[in-house]
Amino acid sequence: MDFELYEIIQAFGDGLMKGSTYALMGIGFTLIFGVMQKINMSFAAVSISGAYASLAASILFPEVHVFVVFGASIIFSGMIGYFVYLCCFKWIPLANPLATLMATIGMLFFLEEVVVHATNGMPLPYPAMPFDEYFEFGQYSVRGDLVLIFFMCLIATAVLMYLLYRTRLGIATRAVAQQPIAARLSGISIEKTNAGTFIITGLLGGLAGAMIASTVSVLSVLFFLPVTVKGLIVAVIGGLGSIPGAIVAGLLVGGIEEVALLLRGILERDIYIMVLLFLFLTLRPGGIFSKTFQRN
Amino acid sequence: MKSSLLGGVAVAASVFAAMTLGMSSSAISGERTIHIAGFGVKTGVVRSFGINTEAVLKAAVLHVNSTGGVKLADGSTGKFKLTFYDDRCKAEEGISVVRRIAGTPAVIAIGPTCSNVAEPLFGILQKKRGDASDSGLQMPIFTDTAIKGGLAKISDWAFRNVPNEANMYKALFAWLRTEHPNLKTVFGGVEQDFAHSRFTWHKVMKVAAPAAGYEVVGEAKWLLADTSFTTQVRAMKKANADIISISSHPFTTCGLLKEMKRQRVKPKIIVGLTSSSSMETLTGCGKAAEGIIIPTSFAPVTDAARFAAAKTAEQGGSTDLHSASAWENVMIIKQVIEASSVDAKADTVQADRGKIRDGLAALKTTKGLIGTIKRTAEGEADKPFVFAHAQNSQWAVLHDPAM
Amino acid sequence: MEFYLGLIQIFGVHTIIGLSAYVILLTGQVTMAQAGLVSVGAYASAMLTAMYGWHIVPSVLVGGAAGMVMAVLVGFPALRVKGLIFVIATLAFGEFIRLFWFNFIFQVERGGELVGPNSSDGFRMIRYFPENGWSTWGVAAFIWFWAIIIMAAIWWMDRSRAGSVLRAVGEDEVAAQSVGINLTAVKVSAFAASGLIAGVAGSLYAHYTTHIEQENFTVLLATFAIAYPLLGGLRNIWGTLIAVIFIQGILTEVLRFMGDWRNLLYGILIVLAMNFRPHGLIDANLTDRLKRMFGLRKSSNDART
Repeated sequence: MDFELYEIIQAFGDGLMKGSTYALMGIGFTLIFGVMQKINMSFAAVSISGAYASLAASILFPEVHVFVVFGASIIFSGMIGYFVYLCCFKWIPLANPLATLMATIGMLFFLEEVVVHATNGMPLPYPAMPFDEYFEFGQYSVRGDLVLIFFMCLIATAVLMYLLYRTRLGIATRAVAQQPIAARLSGISIEKTNAGTFIITGLLGGLAGAMIASTVSVLSVLFFLPVTVKGLIVAVIGGLGSIPGAIVAGLLVGGIEEVALLLRGILERDIYIMVLLFLFLTLRPGGIFSKTFQRN
Repeated sequence: MKSSLLGGVAVAASVFAAMTLGMSSSAISGERTIHIAGFGVKTGVVRSFGINTEAVLKAAVLHVNSTGGVKLADGSTGKFKLTFYDDRCKAEEGISVVRRIAGTPAVIAIGPTCSNVAEPLFGILQKKRGDASDSGLQMPIFTDTAIKGGLAKISDWAFRNVPNEANMYKALFAWLRTEHPNLKTVFGGVEQDFAHSRFTWHKVMKVAAPAAGYEVVGEAKWLLADTSFTTQVRAMKKANADIISISSHPFTTCGLLKEMKRQRVKPKIIVGLTSSSSMETLTGCGKAAEGIIIPTSFAPVTDAARFAAAKTAEQGGSTDLHSASAWENVMIIKQVIEASSVDAKADTVQADRGKIRDGLAALKTTKGLIGTIKRTAEGEADKPFVFAHAQNSQWAVLHDPAM
Repeated sequence: MEFYLGLIQIFGVHTIIGLSAYVILLTGQVTMAQAGLVSVGAYASAMLTAMYGWHIVPSVLVGGAAGMVMAVLVGFPALRVKGLIFVIATLAFGEFIRLFWFNFIFQVERGGELVGPNSSDGFRMIRYFPENGWSTWGVAAFIWFWAIIIMAAIWWMDRSRAGSVLRAVGEDEVAAQSVGINLTAVKVSAFAASGLIAGVAGSLYAHYTTHIEQENFTVLLATFAIAYPLLGGLRNIWGTLIAVIFIQGILTEVLRFMGDWRNLLYGILIVLAMNFRPHGLIDANLTDRLKRMFGLRKSSNDART
């Protein structure tokens, strides 16, 4: 099948915009890794569960504005994030990464199952964002709500950066990440800091979950595993620990995915993302913005 | 004196009670239990299917038992006893569950829900009846829901009562051609990684549409957990077909329909997949799904159908084209048992299973809830159907070909 | 009785799957590629028996070999990274293999029908066992034959120098390197062993379910593969076996009466287990105490396994 150049550019653009949601997921994974040197496999589950919880709220208060629902998602995810911290990180010795990895996998299963029980597995409609339509520019069209999400992504990043570099919690977080012993000696409570990190990533996750749900305007339990995998891949390609990396990687993965779909079809689409990941792993294992190389 | 009188009365009373009990149990002993099993998915994403199937089975069994039971070989009456198992839509667990059922006195198992359980399960059954060299399990399985095409032929012990999509879509496209003679083109959408939806587009819809005189101008593909359909809908918009035929389950159907609304893609007609004619589609995207036409093998259009729906609702489930089959299965099993001299005794379990299998294989037609069902040599069903469409977030009958 | 034999079959196959992850976990890395390696063994051996009429034993061996080759292929590039990036790399690799099967069509005609892998339709009629009259008991014994050989091999390796070398790499790579251990060689060998074991597991899986498709070999299976050894404990192979019996036997069957609450339990139990016994059900302390109880060790000063 022949495609004109503008169609390819259009597909790349569509994918790029879709990639903002991937970026948000990637940021969440990468932040936890950056601070605690751990992967929280349940992060995507936390985000989606928060979105579901916000749906419950919107059913109780049907006249409420869409942004309030998103806000509810953020808050609920923050709470669930703290719950995950309690179950998987607070009491398990931090020196045991295998146990925390397994525990967060357990949380992923648990959260998914709670949602399945609550909804009987049925997909539920989720409110869409404003500008949920296409704006035409000559041959090209852009989805308004995706552009909005892209800007939200930038704002969220800016807020995060501010938190990390300008507030006490942020400084404490970075101190704990870089030098836990020195941090403790300076009186920083590692527990409180880690808990804070989880809550903050939970909040971010709630935003991500709400955004993902609103772009397709349906919430389904089918999201849990694929969103987790996608977020992890984006975080790794961007460089674990690098927030700007996660953004660039998210957009890149989105764009490449859409072009691969257009040119090569659905069966091969995901293979190209795996290939992209492998290329990075073999040539540039630290990711796009690698801080240090991680070689054997 | 008084105590011995009381003692005497007590003895007499207990003797009398024992005799009465003895009499009532011998009255009951004219009645035997016919164990049947049901299995399906009650856990996980598709748990609503298993929940409905169990409710339908309970309602059907209650109905049979309360209207005279089942006639057994020696003239006594049998009452069904149902046990339902959850296979969690996993192949290994489905096989394990059926092995467990085989170890109970159950004479037949109704299920499974998932095609990915049915296919491996049928593979462990004995392929040819009477083949002594084949150590496969000899247990009749009568499927109500698993709908992936062509499974029953895997084994002589496997039977299905699921809709024949090839006939349904052939009839639908032919009917659409007569109703809307000015429409010419069809564009397809298919969920590629789910066996049922994939089969139904490529082997059913894509065959039925040209057979009715339509030109298939393209197809768009996606995966069952996809959330973005931008590129696919752009292709649809470019092709500008009169009819869009979507072979996917409620989640991605809804995602696609909403994207079509966004890109202002408005075909004259939208056709959907049989499995999407359920509550899920309407809950997920009732507005976007307005007008979608789906052939279905169950709708409350006859007294029998309405009765089954009402009884199932009493058991806490709902009837749709998937779960309603289970009701029909129970009635068919009753019919087969009565025609096959089944004994339902503790030591005749395997013989009974064989008789029921042979009885099912010999059936040419069975009574369905909305009409007569034809049975094929492969153990599949050819069920009557109606065309339903979504109106105001409800399913309504658009056209009943039987009329 | 059939039912219990069927359960024993499941225990066997899943123990082998768990052990394939066990050998890599010993080297201190978490692998999410096992589902992909299992699938390679499954498709390879199924193609040999169902399409070309091979006997089951050489098919299982070829399945194992195929798994081993694939594991080494992925091993080399993946070894350039470690830690959490390694987890993602292996996860992506497992998914890559699954996507390959999603596309793969290769069928031949046997007895008037097309047999073979057919993309997302899967590969059906892998009926070597029933067609050749194997009983449920026979299949169970066959599966456990392989399981016991693999368990014995790992057990023996663990008591030998190879085991110490693996665990040394797992404990502290820098220290291991400083005593002259060739890290790459050790890790690649662990990969090869893991691939071989996974391939055998896959071959058995394909034949006892008679139908395989890419959907069987997702991240979920990969997660269970590492869950068994992590929950059971990495001290010795018995932990993995007990975890398998616990999850596939007790959680799935004994607690069947709990109905749809079983799935919730999986998650809860994993979280609880990791909180209360982060080193697994059977960790070093428990092994020590059990050995002293059974008189296998005179005092707590006895250092060897």
